[in-house]
Amino acid sequence: MPSGNRSFDNIGQGTTGISRRKWLQALGVAGAAGLAGCQGSDDQETTTTTDDGTESDPSTDSETETETESGSRSVGGTYNSVTSSPYETLNPLYNDEYGAGVAIGYALDLNYTFAPETEPFWLHTEFETDDNEVWVVKVREGLEFGGDYGEVTAETYTYQIQEVHQSEWANTPDATNWIRDEEPINVEETGEYEFQIELPSPDPVYLESYDPQMYPIPVDLMQPYVDEEDAEGLQDDEDLLELTFTGNLGAFSLDEWNRSSGVTFSRNDDYFLQDVDDAPDEFENAPYFEGVQVDVVQEESSRLAALETGETDTAAVPPNRVQEFQDLDSTYVSVQPQSYNEICAYNMRDNGWTAGPGNLFREKEFRQGLACAVNKERLVEGVYRGFAEIEYTWQPPWSQWYPDEDDLMTFGTGDLYGPEETRSRIESAIENVDEDYRYDGENLVTPDGNQVTLSLYHSAGQNTEKNFAQFIAQEFSENAGIEVEVEAIDGVKFSEDYWQQEVPDNPDEYEWSEGPNNAGPREVTSANEWDMSVVFGLNAYPLNPLTADVFFLKDGVYNPYGYYPSWDAEGLFDKARNAESRDELKEALRDIFINISEDQPMGMLAFPSDTIGYNSSVQGPMEDYFSGWDFPAWYFEE
Amino acid sequence: MGLEWYVARRVAWAIVVTFIIVSVTWALLAAAPNPEVSQAASQAALEGGDPAEAQERAKELRGLDAPLHERYIDYVTGIYTFNWGWSESRNQPVTDALMESLYYTVQYSVPWTILTILLGPLVGIYSAANQYSWKDHVATGFAFFGYSIPNFFFGIILLLLFGVYLDAIPIVYNTDVPVFSVENAIQLAIPVFVLVTGSIGGTMRVSRNESAEYINADFVKTATAKGVSPLRVYARHILRPTMVPLSTTIVAQLLYLFVGSSLLVEVVFGIPGLGRTTYRAIVSQDTSLVLGATLFFTFIATIGNLLQDLVYTVLDPRISFDDR
Repeated sequence: MPSGNRSFDNIGQGTTGISRRKWLQALGVAGAAGLAGCQGSDDQETTTTTDDGTESDPSTDSETETETESGSRSVGGTYNSVTSSPYETLNPLYNDEYGAGVAIGYALDLNYTFAPETEPFWLHTEFETDDNEVWVVKVREGLEFGGDYGEVTAETYTYQIQEVHQSEWANTPDATNWIRDEEPINVEETGEYEFQIELPSPDPVYLESYDPQMYPIPVDLMQPYVDEEDAEGLQDDEDLLELTFTGNLGAFSLDEWNRSSGVTFSRNDDYFLQDVDDAPDEFENAPYFEGVQVDVVQEESSRLAALETGETDTAAVPPNRVQEFQDLDSTYVSVQPQSYNEICAYNMRDNGWTAGPGNLFREKEFRQGLACAVNKERLVEGVYRGFAEIEYTWQPPWSQWYPDEDDLMTFGTGDLYGPEETRSRIESAIENVDEDYRYDGENLVTPDGNQVTLSLYHSAGQNTEKNFAQFIAQEFSENAGIEVEVEAIDGVKFSEDYWQQEVPDNPDEYEWSEGPNNAGPREVTSANEWDMSVVFGLNAYPLNPLTADVFFLKDGVYNPYGYYPSWDAEGLFDKARNAESRDELKEALRDIFINISEDQPMGMLAFPSDTIGYNSSVQGPMEDYFSGWDFPAWYFEE
Repeated sequence: MGLEWYVARRVAWAIVVTFIIVSVTWALLAAAPNPEVSQAASQAALEGGDPAEAQERAKELRGLDAPLHERYIDYVTGIYTFNWGWSESRNQPVTDALMESLYYTVQYSVPWTILTILLGPLVGIYSAANQYSWKDHVATGFAFFGYSIPNFFFGIILLLLFGVYLDAIPIVYNTDVPVFSVENAIQLAIPVFVLVTGSIGGTMRVSRNESAEYINADFVKTATAKGVSPLRVYARHILRPTMVPLSTTIVAQLLYLFVGSSLLVEVVFGIPGLGRTTYRAIVSQDTSLVLGATLFFTFIATIGNLLQDLVYTVLDPRISFDDR
């Protein structure tokens, strides 16, 4: 089922690296959309995000709640959705795109996912542990592959982990999930339907890391490629690409994948969840759609027109058109919190701060000053029409790991907003640097007396992001006396020529070299200079925030902006990683998030919600991070 | 000798030209860094592996470790046996990807081309026949409107009007309907209309100016004086000489029958044709598919050039090939 959302590609804690699949997640809505050259918030026809449930359940909206008893559901109709770009692959072992992951999920469930309140929802397997270190995994009986591939057993998983993910040849995106401390995780079959995973150290949020999340793949299908160590063959295998082996393991069966125009599924009458006693009643006769069809419609205006005319049952709606679709009788809009934030990244590398000598972005007080310059309440109301949460630190307010707000520096609101707050901090920062920057009247000027002017890049063609950038520019000009030139750029171009550094020929001569997103210290730079960017939104990982360490470690694998923390980031993340209980972890994370809010590694501004439009007859979506976890139980109201 | 010898030589030359283009493309490709190999190296670096080793392994997997001449022979053999490689962005053979896309492109490019070729000269002659009258201005205005308004914008407006407000055409292009069906005709009507209005402007203006020149020619006056009907005068005595210079434009237009994909129109109307496939291949650095599309366009262009030259002889018997 298409739940677990972006979860299938989470960054695993304690891993030494970060896979390609994880990059996509790290880049987030704006980033991924930028890379695809498409409109943001795409592929959200079945968006499922997660809520840790620390607040009251927002799914009680009268229009979106699923209060209908299972008995009132009847099977009927085809659920039509739209996506902005075609899928590259539907191979479950190699897919690393969110949209294709949703499509695969229609035909093949993952082994587990999460329901609201971060409640694990066991699909093919159930996990148990006494010490957070040894995890016993029980495979459900009666799970059948299609064709001659037989039953799903413990070997289905252990073989995949040991012979494919932990191999040197297969190079799957999940490979890093099965390595910790540079050693393969020990996995052992303990029975026909049971195996165990032994972690090198306790991990109370192992499930939330999504590391053990997998699709079941028949051993006989993988074996010929394993014997030959044929990665290309495994990637191009027709049974994997066409999902012919899914048996009773998913709610629907793939009928046709037209590479350009979309994909069609029909109802799987034998879906295993119908017979699972401990599953909620609404799955009794699931799924309740006769079929699912996903059409590729590249133009946002066409997708919205299709939603309006009823040709599609769902499409992402930009904030400025939410009201219009709310007002239509034929549609409603579900506002679903999500974990990607809108940041303004400052280039602290040597090719950043092009206004003059030095680089004021490197000064903590200067960054704090900039944080005081942007009114976050007006930003949320004006740019996101209220469909966003204000951001003070690297966690959305609804996360269970969110610290007490009194402990945070609430820059950009209340007393910590305005020209005086901004300028006093900037002046204080200037005193710490050798270069003679100063205020000349209202304007910040360089040592040569020129107005400080900085560039701010946003993705071309994305109106919300453009408005976001222009708002920042206006606020910096009014409150900080800094002129900002807003520039549109193609997401892929920005990523390759500005964001990523050129990996040096002599990486060993640098203190670290972690690939194109942190190819070395600040003297290692990208091909082109840049000052600020809102092109990429990043994932705050509200379920397992430990994965966010990559954004804040000086030598982490994701530090394109050249941030050097003024706090002990490494020590605090180590402390969190070594926590043996959730309470210990929460304490450590609290310190981390307080430090982040104070140090302002980047302008942390807002957590926009997904605003997903649905046909009025669709029953099931909820205004919750986990909306979609129960997609097979969705139905059309007659 | 004569025409046959000329055609034979032109065909032979076309083969040589495609061979040269194929070779140059291969050389450029061989010289360019392979994105998959670079990606394998970055991936290995990120995962704590050895980038150089990963690079070698990736090269080995893709046969890039073989000597250049072997790779060249393999490549050329593949091209001429229609083994054009594997599309990474679609996970299917390149030939399948091109054929699948072509299937949808042809459905709108054939009516588009035919209508353009038929309507362009007709509107032009109509304009010339009614020179400087309001009919001329209307026809010219129509042609220029279509020519100047961007296709994607016009498409969106019409989609909004006929799709959303009038609910007469579907917004989402349906690939399941049969090619020769009313549903397909309805969903292709607006894209074809947009493309035709965008492309008849040039043909119309050339035919208008050319035929205006012949309307007052002596042989036309003679024919009229002899009592030839106006329709026959326009069809036989004016249209035919007009078609000689026009043939260049029209034959080039005919090439669009198969390759005239329009990316923007495909994007707006959601048609999964060749334009979208090629664009996506370029964006996702799917070199095999980009190369496949390039070769396909090359073949068509070479053949088209040949046809263009031959058409002159058919339309104007004064052109001789005896001494060529």
